Amino acid sequence: MLSSMAAAGSVKAALQVAEVLEAIVSCCVGPEGRQVLCTKPTGEVLLSRNGGRLLEALHLEHPIARMIVDCVSSHLKKTVDGAKTFIIFLCHLLRGLHAITDREKDPLMCENIQTHGRHWKNCSRWKFISQALLTFQTQILDGIMDQYLSRHFLSIFSSAKERTLCRSSLELLLEAYFCGRVGRNNHKFISQLMCDYFFKCMTCKSGIGVFELVDDHFVELNVGVTGLPVSDSRIIAGLVLQKDFSVYRPADGDMRMVIVTETIQPLFSTSGSEFILNSEAQFQTSQFWIMEKTKAIMKHLHSQNVKLLISSVKQPDLVSYYAGVNGISVVECLSSEEVSLIRRIIGLSPFVPPQAFSQCEIPNTALVKFCKPLILRSKRYVHLGLISTCAFIPHSIVLCGPVHGLIEQHEDALHGALKMLRQLFKDLDLNYMTQTNDQNGTSSLFIYKNSGESYQAPDPGNGSIQRPYQDTVAENKDAWKKTQTYLKVHSNLVIPDVELETYIPYSTPTLTPTDTFQTVETLTCLSLERNRLTDYYEPLLKNNSTAYSTRGNRIEISYENLQVTNITRKGSMLPVSCKLPNMGTSQSYLSSSMPAGCVLPVGGNFEILLHYYLLNYAKKCHQSEETMVSMIIANALLGIPKVLYKSKTGKYSFPHTYIRAVHALQTNQPLVSSQTGLESVMGKYQLLTSVLQCLTKILTIDMVITVKRHPQKVHNQDSEDEL
Amino acid sequence: MSRLEAKKPSLCKSEPLTTERVRTTLSVLKRIVTSCYGPSGRLKQLHNGFGGYVCTTSQSSALLSHLLVTHPILKILTASIQNHVSSFSDCGLFTAILCCNLIENVQRLGLTPTTVIRLNKHLLSLCISYLKSETCGCRIPVDFSSTQILLCLVRSILTSKPACMLTRKETEHVSALILRAFLLTIPENAEGHIILGKSLIVPLKGQRVIDSTVLPGILIEMSEVQLMRLLPIKKSTALKVALFCTTLSGDTSDTGEGTVVVSYGVSLENAVLDQLLNLGRQLISDHVDLVLCQKVIHPSLKQFLNMHRIIAIDRIGVTLMEPLTKMTGTQPIGSLGSICPNSYGSVKDVCTAKFGSKHFFHLIPNEATICSLLLCNRNDTAWDELKLTCQTALHVLQLTLKEPWALLGGGCTETHLAAYIRHKTHNDPESILKDDECTQTELQLIAEAFCSALESVVGSLEHDGGEILTDMKYGHLWSVQADSPCVANWPDLLSQCGCGLYNSQEELNWSFLRSTCRPFVPQSCLPHEAVVSASNLTLDCLTAKLSGLQVAVETANLILDLSYVIEDKN
Repeated sequence: MLSSMAAAGSVKAALQVAEVLEAIVSCCVGPEGRQVLCTKPTGEVLLSRNGGRLLEALHLEHPIARMIVDCVSSHLKKTVDGAKTFIIFLCHLLRGLHAITDREKDPLMCENIQTHGRHWKNCSRWKFISQALLTFQTQILDGIMDQYLSRHFLSIFSSAKERTLCRSSLELLLEAYFCGRVGRNNHKFISQLMCDYFFKCMTCKSGIGVFELVDDHFVELNVGVTGLPVSDSRIIAGLVLQKDFSVYRPADGDMRMVIVTETIQPLFSTSGSEFILNSEAQFQTSQFWIMEKTKAIMKHLHSQNVKLLISSVKQPDLVSYYAGVNGISVVECLSSEEVSLIRRIIGLSPFVPPQAFSQCEIPNTALVKFCKPLILRSKRYVHLGLISTCAFIPHSIVLCGPVHGLIEQHEDALHGALKMLRQLFKDLDLNYMTQTNDQNGTSSLFIYKNSGESYQAPDPGNGSIQRPYQDTVAENKDAWKKTQTYLKVHSNLVIPDVELETYIPYSTPTLTPTDTFQTVETLTCLSLERNRLTDYYEPLLKNNSTAYSTRGNRIEISYENLQVTNITRKGSMLPVSCKLPNMGTSQSYLSSSMPAGCVLPVGGNFEILLHYYLLNYAKKCHQSEETMVSMIIANALLGIPKVLYKSKTGKYSFPHTYIRAVHALQTNQPLVSSQTGLESVMGKYQLLTSVLQCLTKILTIDMVITVKRHPQKVHNQDSEDEL
Repeated sequence: MSRLEAKKPSLCKSEPLTTERVRTTLSVLKRIVTSCYGPSGRLKQLHNGFGGYVCTTSQSSALLSHLLVTHPILKILTASIQNHVSSFSDCGLFTAILCCNLIENVQRLGLTPTTVIRLNKHLLSLCISYLKSETCGCRIPVDFSSTQILLCLVRSILTSKPACMLTRKETEHVSALILRAFLLTIPENAEGHIILGKSLIVPLKGQRVIDSTVLPGILIEMSEVQLMRLLPIKKSTALKVALFCTTLSGDTSDTGEGTVVVSYGVSLENAVLDQLLNLGRQLISDHVDLVLCQKVIHPSLKQFLNMHRIIAIDRIGVTLMEPLTKMTGTQPIGSLGSICPNSYGSVKDVCTAKFGSKHFFHLIPNEATICSLLLCNRNDTAWDELKLTCQTALHVLQLTLKEPWALLGGGCTETHLAAYIRHKTHNDPESILKDDECTQTELQLIAEAFCSALESVVGSLEHDGGEILTDMKYGHLWSVQADSPCVANWPDLLSQCGCGLYNSQEELNWSFLRSTCRPFVPQSCLPHEAVVSASNLTLDCLTAKLSGLQVAVETANLILDLSYVIEDKN
């Protein structure tokens, strides 16, 4: 029978799975998190606090669990961070949804005695909710981020244009990152090491190029040494190759190096060719020629001051011998990654032994500061002082630890931090839609936003703006109804702006908005300069919408700078004819961007802020689905800070922190975080969208069918299609 | 047919340390290592049911490499000790015991891991900074101008490995040999950067330990027949040496990726042999006396060289190549063609030697830092143990050369350190707790656990039911034999402290090690005269012990921090 193999896919089942996963990950989340020991199938032991790794190591069987893990890993491909938070957040969302069903269960029970019927009914309900979630994620979330949350953002850069990294901010960011990734004895040390590493490697202030290079070649840039305490880890100037010299000749003075990718010694025959030996003398002459040729090449290299030969292949004894005779050190059998790293640093192409000899200079040589053996725990390494031609000054990290599993964890964390920083350098596009079904439609977001801006204003100012806002709504309503001409619309909408203008010079002596929402003064970060752009604004019906767009522009820009406001206001005064939509619905698409380097203080700040603004938004919503979804998300968000503050008591416990934060938001005071450290907003935002996508996926499933058959290889359809 | 196999789910366990299985396995491991510790430690016999030889040992490196641990937590523990031993050779058992003790003691307290880890780290840094400070009362400077302290250091290592089965006289003899071997590796005229040479250990099993000896230069083992064939060289000047790293057997070397077609009647072998003989002629004209080859020399070439009174020795093997290069000052030759004159090296003399049943060809260097330590012991297992011990001792001497300090051994450092920490946490807790959220009570609890873990380490030095005491002035360790009459007059029963620095003639107060006593300040700053006058001290390597201490605490912290164990069952 089918029912024996199929299980109803329900929120309840998903919640049970998620709760199990939550139990595991929540023990290693945050600064108080603990370690998990994983064994690999090979018997190796690995220590980890990396959520993604843990979930993979579990090799889960349950189909929903596997789906969740898949979602997490696809999220990690995008952002590399946040696997643990993913699970916790998802679990809280499911809990919220489950609570709703529980509440509604009893009446349902009375109505439908047949459980099957109830199940299908539930499923269709879940489908609605999942659609609402999707709508929220694609159309509303960005708007809330852009319009409310963004004013709290700080920047990691000390100058936004040049993207100069601010050391203290970077330290705070890395420390917070490593808090969640490495054991608590070591996170300070490791984050300091990482920070030092960056500043030692960077030539200019901006590091994106360096991050990319270090990220691509991370494996080659660090050396793990077991058997030493972690505190012996250090940064070494120059490049350390995990090889020993096959020939080492100490040298100093003007030293040059060459890279070769094939054997220097000419061979009898190359692939595809045939060498015919007709006599013994011929053989001896060819051997002699080979020897003389090799000797000559090495001599020539010597005459060009080449003291180091780096080879990706094993060189024959003859080459090593003549290298030694000519005082040239040889490093052989380098991996292609190592060769490409060296080439990237010094910009050198491989040396090809010339066919015909001349005394001319060899073009492909590079100067080397030093090359010497480096002994780390009685193992020898090659230590090169390369002279960089790019923004990266070569340094290597030596990671020490009592066991390999710990070193691997640290490597993993350092690599993760690099990826996180690379992410941080990207801008994020936010696209959202303001949609209204009734007449006051478009203005609701904008006007509310205006009142949001007035947060910095002292109380009387606040009041004065609140009032016109309501007036506008009222008048606006009329305006829509009567399909008024543009003048009316204009006069209505201009009111809050006039109010704003009157207040801006009054509250802020300098007109840059940076000062108005400085949140955490103790942090040395500069608040973010806003570079929001509004470039797309379109009423659903293709009206002549110039008035609208100007208005949109004006409101946006007035925030930034008073002068621009004046100009655009003038612009809007221009007699532009505008036909108002004669349908009740209007949609407007807005797009803006979140600049690179946005950060927020750690300790659940992002979650509490979003929670607060979502609740506010939910109050204004008119659709019940939308309200419900916003409420559920808002409440689930709090789950994360709850876990983070689990061990704190008294003043620092979660309820206290939450109340303080909400109070601060209501009275427009800066938020004070009890923890130092910063985290990337981008990562958090992407986490949120990934979780919502995962949840929609879960909700759309109504049944899980178990198939007891060996998995079959799926042919790659795509590749065939391409043909 | 390839079949996709679904992966088995992993086994996930929470709070692994609380389970009974882990506790028992940890305590089994602890019993094994504690019973091995010290000069009177018990030996372990390890044998594999599938064959192989039986190993009798009490050293951590041999013990742990033979043990097969399956539980991941034990794997972490043993791996970290093995890594420590492979980098420092010494103090493996100390590290293992301390780590087990720390885990056990702290678990009993039931404090949160955060607190424990933080405080353990503070206590560790307290220990490290004390042991590195000038006022440290348990370390002594090592004077390289006299052999006395160095000998003490080597002797302490030898006596702590009972599986070597050495008598006192043999111990003295081997200690002296090890020290000599070490001193021979130090270059005579070194300025600035010293590059140490190498002592090669040559096995000679089945002989008396007393027959062991140290020779400068390199011994190459040969059969008697081979040796007889070598003609004696009579030459007053140094001998010219050519060292080949390439094969001289006459193989056609690698011809590339393409094909080589050899016409009928063309003999490559002859062509190559011609080449080899040409090479031989060049060697003769360059007046080479000795030809050494890592690989095989063609018999014809060998005979040709012998005819011209050149000694040719082949199949030397890759391990001897580096010492040979260093000793003779040659450049290993990789060419069958012309040889640069500056690739030749030299030896002062060569001779043949017979030790036991083995025959050796002995290369005597002009001045070089390579020596051979001929090590004898009665049977295989004892020899293996002795060899390991010698390597440890040589390594410890090298470490001491880098950091010329030694710690007082025999358990005195541990008891002294424990006394120091007790005193420090009692009298000055604020300096340790500077900016932490931990309370003083928590600190007291952890400090007590830490100190008693240290003291339990030295407690395991005693295997025969004796008592261990500590004095209240220096904080050193004193042991009483088991069958001694009941507490009457301590000074009569106790003659010397563990390290041998103090004797009981002074007016001292003693207390039992595990009894609770009030904290006292152990006397810091060793009196210089005491160190000079004491001739028979027990000493430990400072570098190895410091690292062992750090590794033990770090590993314990790591294990205490575990909240889950996920075992992959695939």
